[in-house]
Amino acid sequence: MGSLTALLEGFATAAQPEYLLYALLGVTLGTAVGVLPGIGPAMTVALLLPLTYSLEPTAALIIFAGIYYGGMYGGSTTSILLNTPGESSSVVTALEGNRMARAGRGAAALATAAIGSFVAGTIATILLTALAPTIADLAVTLGPADYVALMVVAFTTVAALLGASPVRGLASLGLGLFIGLVGTDTLTGQQRFTLGVPTLSDGIDVVVVAVGVFAVGEALYVAARMRHGPVEVVPVGGKWMTGEFWRRSWKPWLRGTAIGFPIGTIPAGGADVSTFLSYAAEKKLAKRPEEFGKGAIEGVAGPEAANNAAAAGVLVPLLTLGLPTTATAAVIVAGFQSYGIQPGPLLFTNDSALVWALIASLYIGNVMLLVLNLPLVKIWVKVLQIPRPYLYAGILLFAALGTYAVNFVVDDLVVLLVIGVAGFFMRRHGYPVAPLVVGLILGPMAEEQVRRTLQISEGDPAALVASPFAAVAYAVLAAALVVTVVLRVRRRA
Amino acid sequence: MTSSDATSPDPAPPARSAKAEEYVFGALVAALGVFTLVDATTIATRGSMGTVGPRVFPYAVGALLVVTGVAAIVATARGRLGPAEDAEDVDTSVRTDWVTVAKLVAVLVAHLALIDVAGWPVAGAVLFFGAAWTLGAVWWKALVVAVVLALVVQVLFAAGLGLSLPAGVFEGVPLLDG
Repeated sequence: MGSLTALLEGFATAAQPEYLLYALLGVTLGTAVGVLPGIGPAMTVALLLPLTYSLEPTAALIIFAGIYYGGMYGGSTTSILLNTPGESSSVVTALEGNRMARAGRGAAALATAAIGSFVAGTIATILLTALAPTIADLAVTLGPADYVALMVVAFTTVAALLGASPVRGLASLGLGLFIGLVGTDTLTGQQRFTLGVPTLSDGIDVVVVAVGVFAVGEALYVAARMRHGPVEVVPVGGKWMTGEFWRRSWKPWLRGTAIGFPIGTIPAGGADVSTFLSYAAEKKLAKRPEEFGKGAIEGVAGPEAANNAAAAGVLVPLLTLGLPTTATAAVIVAGFQSYGIQPGPLLFTNDSALVWALIASLYIGNVMLLVLNLPLVKIWVKVLQIPRPYLYAGILLFAALGTYAVNFVVDDLVVLLVIGVAGFFMRRHGYPVAPLVVGLILGPMAEEQVRRTLQISEGDPAALVASPFAAVAYAVLAAALVVTVVLRVRRRA
Repeated sequence: MTSSDATSPDPAPPARSAKAEEYVFGALVAALGVFTLVDATTIATRGSMGTVGPRVFPYAVGALLVVTGVAAIVATARGRLGPAEDAEDVDTSVRTDWVTVAKLVAVLVAHLALIDVAGWPVAGAVLFFGAAWTLGAVWWKALVVAVVLALVVQVLFAAGLGLSLPAGVFEGVPLLDG
């Protein structure tokens, strides 16, 4: 099989000392941002975009992938040890993990999260390796109308199906689409919504938007209601790994992987949903359901595995279709584009060496992350205790620096501030920020595909639904919408 | 954006001020949609009928913003408020501290105004010090960290990355002026 040879060649590239160093840098940064509240992988990748222009694409993408995987590991340490968990995808881990830590079994909770993440991450990366080339082969045959259908599905699921309030999710998507419109129309060269400002004629940079909503918006949001006083960390106690630990953990790890990977693959919003489903499954299957809510290890093992498997699953549509389904994935697409590479079906033929080195680095990164997060967990506990005034001042400083470094113009900082304030109010009122970032990246791509479709069909809109693939995609979407509406109405009744 | 409750010391019921803010935000979304629709009519189009020009997508986006903005207002009126987001360092039981938010915005404005006038090292130190102090750090510690951090970043950029941040008052100083 050709892809096995390609993968081995990828390992040969990724195992060069230089690339190993980049991978280590990525996973270390990723774990740090996963551990630290207030910053996430999406913002970190965005901040590094301007700084990596001087690197070659393979090195930069290995760093980004490391940050992406690392963020998934780091988040669990925070939810288990910090008294005040937050962040949606790790919130489920906090339910049981935090209880375990308080009951003096923190070590076992950390171990099952880290090893579960490793097992799930590795299995899911194997699945990615096996599936991606095949899907890419199939995807080559897709036409512009099919892409439009896929993007409509992604928009709808990310914005409307997942959040607490579909209206607010769609509004957030609309804001992202609008920001994507600002600038010069690629097909006709006309200026749109630039208000005559020269800086805006090149469009608003993804870095500025992502850093604005994530870093500035989050810093202002936290500042408005900051938890004062010292950071309370639960001390790590108890035995790391016992026979009982392995007996109770291995099945949830595998089940979590089985739930997480497919959910990550379909455009269903990434990790959050998979952790909730895995938690529910473990609770149902548990021999001792009475332990749930009081520190059941299965409730940590399953969701943590699901979380990481979903992260790998998200890479399937990202690499094979160029379709980002989470905010971080969207920023990674922007990273590809900054090198003139378009992720999608042709990636595996045109940039085969790069993509296989990237996939190989995911295997290597997983091993590094296991070491970083298990024997070295004490370091991350220290990182977690950084006094908050300095943490958020640092976030703001690097947000401003990263934004300024894109073009070295002060105007970008004005845009950053405006978007940051908007992000602050979005957080206050339940407008999710992920649809905004996904809309920003996918919007221009969707517009181009729609216009190409209609150019080919000479303006006949029926062409958008004429292909069998597109028709099926819309039908599935319609069915999903109906099911969701019915479930919501029932829940309310 | 809503200045009404920014400084009012009396503890108004949180639901009411949150509701007012939601109305304003929904209205702003809808207003942006109206702007999009109106401004889209001024985008120059060339070419024949039958091909989709640069106006069509903006019309769709404008319509989406208007509809969702109005829907958010309606949902608010019906009492379905958006839940505030969770975060590790957020204490949901305390009231919004608008003064701190305003100070941080002011610090960011000072930062972007100072870059061209005084150079990045000064502007960066002002940003870090101002933010850390606002958020409760001891002022002299924050000042030391801010100055050291700003100088280290300036040197790293000048020497390491070959990207030169404006040195401003340090113009011509070796290491700081790349």
